Amino acid sequence: MDQLVTANVATNLYWLGRNLERAKQTLYKISKAYDSIIDVDKDAGAKLFKIFDIELKYDNSVDFLQQAILGEHRSNILEITANARESAIISRHRIDSEAFGEIIELHALFDSLIKSDIEIDYKLIDHAHSLISEIYGALAKREHTNKSDLFIRMGKLVEEADFRLRFDKDAAITAEVIQEIDAIVVVLSEDEEEPAKQTQTQSSDEDDLLSAVNNKITQVIIE
Amino acid sequence: MLEKNTALHEKFWEIFNKQDRHKIDEFQTYMDKFAVNFNLYKDGNFIEQSLPFDIVPRIISKEEFAKIDKGLQQRVKALNLFLEDLYTDAKIVKEGIIPETFVKEAGGYLKEFVGFSPSQKVRAHINGIDLVKDSADDEWVILEDNLRVPSGASYPLSIRDTYRKIYPDFFEGLNIEPIKDYPSMISESMNYVNTGGIDVVLTPGRFNSAYYEHSYLAEKSGAQLVRPHELKVVDKKVYFKNYNGKLIRVGSVYKRLDDEFLDPKFFNPDSLIGVPGIIDAYLAGNVALLNAVGNGVADDKGIYYFVPKMIEYYLGEKAILKNAPTYLPYFEEDRKYIFDNMEKLVIKDVAEAGGYGVLFGHEMTAIQIEDLKTIVKANPRRFIAQELIEFYDEKCYLNKELQNRKADFRAYVVAAEDIKVWQCGLTRYALEEGNYLVNSSQGGGFKDTWVMEL
Repeated sequence: MDQLVTANVATNLYWLGRNLERAKQTLYKISKAYDSIIDVDKDAGAKLFKIFDIELKYDNSVDFLQQAILGEHRSNILEITANARESAIISRHRIDSEAFGEIIELHALFDSLIKSDIEIDYKLIDHAHSLISEIYGALAKREHTNKSDLFIRMGKLVEEADFRLRFDKDAAITAEVIQEIDAIVVVLSEDEEEPAKQTQTQSSDEDDLLSAVNNKITQVIIE
Repeated sequence: MLEKNTALHEKFWEIFNKQDRHKIDEFQTYMDKFAVNFNLYKDGNFIEQSLPFDIVPRIISKEEFAKIDKGLQQRVKALNLFLEDLYTDAKIVKEGIIPETFVKEAGGYLKEFVGFSPSQKVRAHINGIDLVKDSADDEWVILEDNLRVPSGASYPLSIRDTYRKIYPDFFEGLNIEPIKDYPSMISESMNYVNTGGIDVVLTPGRFNSAYYEHSYLAEKSGAQLVRPHELKVVDKKVYFKNYNGKLIRVGSVYKRLDDEFLDPKFFNPDSLIGVPGIIDAYLAGNVALLNAVGNGVADDKGIYYFVPKMIEYYLGEKAILKNAPTYLPYFEEDRKYIFDNMEKLVIKDVAEAGGYGVLFGHEMTAIQIEDLKTIVKANPRRFIAQELIEFYDEKCYLNKELQNRKADFRAYVVAAEDIKVWQCGLTRYALEEGNYLVNSSQGGGFKDTWVMEL
């Protein structure tokens, strides 16, 4: 396993993992809300984005997709995929080339919407999900080859834990996810003068837990 | 004018004509998908763009390339000896082969490095030598030596990979030299001069025009890609800062930034992209820099004139590859010739690069020529003049049809214990028919170069 990664590349690999998972989870939630807006609950989209602390306004289901994906807010998918692309470019020498290509394509898929009159629909979301699955597949090819790949894995898991906590998912499974994050922290800090020990990240307070998970990376990367 | 078709060309076209042309679009898809980019700033905006690419390769026979190979090895060997001599004993100047003032007025000459000899006495490690094939006598001619930060090798490497996937028939049916060894040639050179520690590729960062190449070569050569502030100098030793705060000793740095930005403590104090103290470490012999600092003197367009003399002086041999006929207005006799023949010459400003500062006499008005004479007279060291070489066009498949474009050839020559020439190179073609400027910064494109035998 290689040991050498600059803090900048490590940070970008971590955020690549987070942004890919963020895009995946957000698209999934958007897809569910879209379905609900059509004929079940007109406010499903607004309720979803409230969890992200964003007040989202829309006229109908199609407009919801437009606002959720390209609207001017920090959870818009175009921005999330642009951030993933930027992180991938900076750390491309540490990423599987197929995965890199799919990341560029994922961003291009959303970027092309601004430059065209194509209406956003469910097919686009399905296509994006397929691309993300392909990216994960390509990344998995060398997941156990390089230590640097653990940064992507850690980012993905932190984002997954973040979503699980925000959406009150099964606590036992969330604990499993956090346990895996803790295990990665131990591996990534084993060369440090004071390596992290395998400790369980636990708290009954959801905000504390969320904050602890999101700050895990600071135990690993020393600028 | 096109070069005469050979049996190798015939074989290429035979296969080409059987291929599905629709698949040509896949090359651009690949370039976009994998961000094979050459970035630039236009009107203050950062633009990511892929280089224009043509699928028809330049074909050079193995026999013909063997002569180029030999000539380039000879040239780079002499240039290395020149640089080592110039910065130590300066015999070539003392013996009057090159005028002293001519060397000292060269922009790339750094008097602060006189007396310093780098690791293994290698100075020009990774070099790009630009050539054209003269249609007048069918001979290859050297146009320029790039001994500082020549770029471009990653483009044919990337496209060759794609070519093999899209059109495998060419590689199954033809005897083409493989080219994947370029990163290992770089690695060999870095290891040869390494003073103890890891190898790194030093990039100015993600917004540099050639960031794709820096990243690609670091990955393929096994070196670490670093930005300047990710290196730290302690007690005249260079260290790589790992993500966990550990410092790892660095033994060689393949630097992809110009000398004047390398160390703000030594050169430009305003440089935001340098590594403070790296020159002290270099001068203490604690790190190797590829290419050596101060090489700019040897790829100065004025010094180019003297390279055949260097070959004779250091190696006792005649130059295998000739220079373009060049005149220096610095010498009175040459100046007279230049002024009498300016309308048929190419005038180059030695301080410019990338196709800038190149003036074609045949395109200038009488008034412009008179103005230029005044400028040259006032500062003769700043200019050189060359005979216009009618170099061959290459066939290019552009806009779904074959068109002719002037094309040059950048060969990559890498020095380690031995000097090796990569069996490929970057063929650059001009944007428009009849245009002599092939540089990427002038809108030119590139194509692969196949060294082949029957």
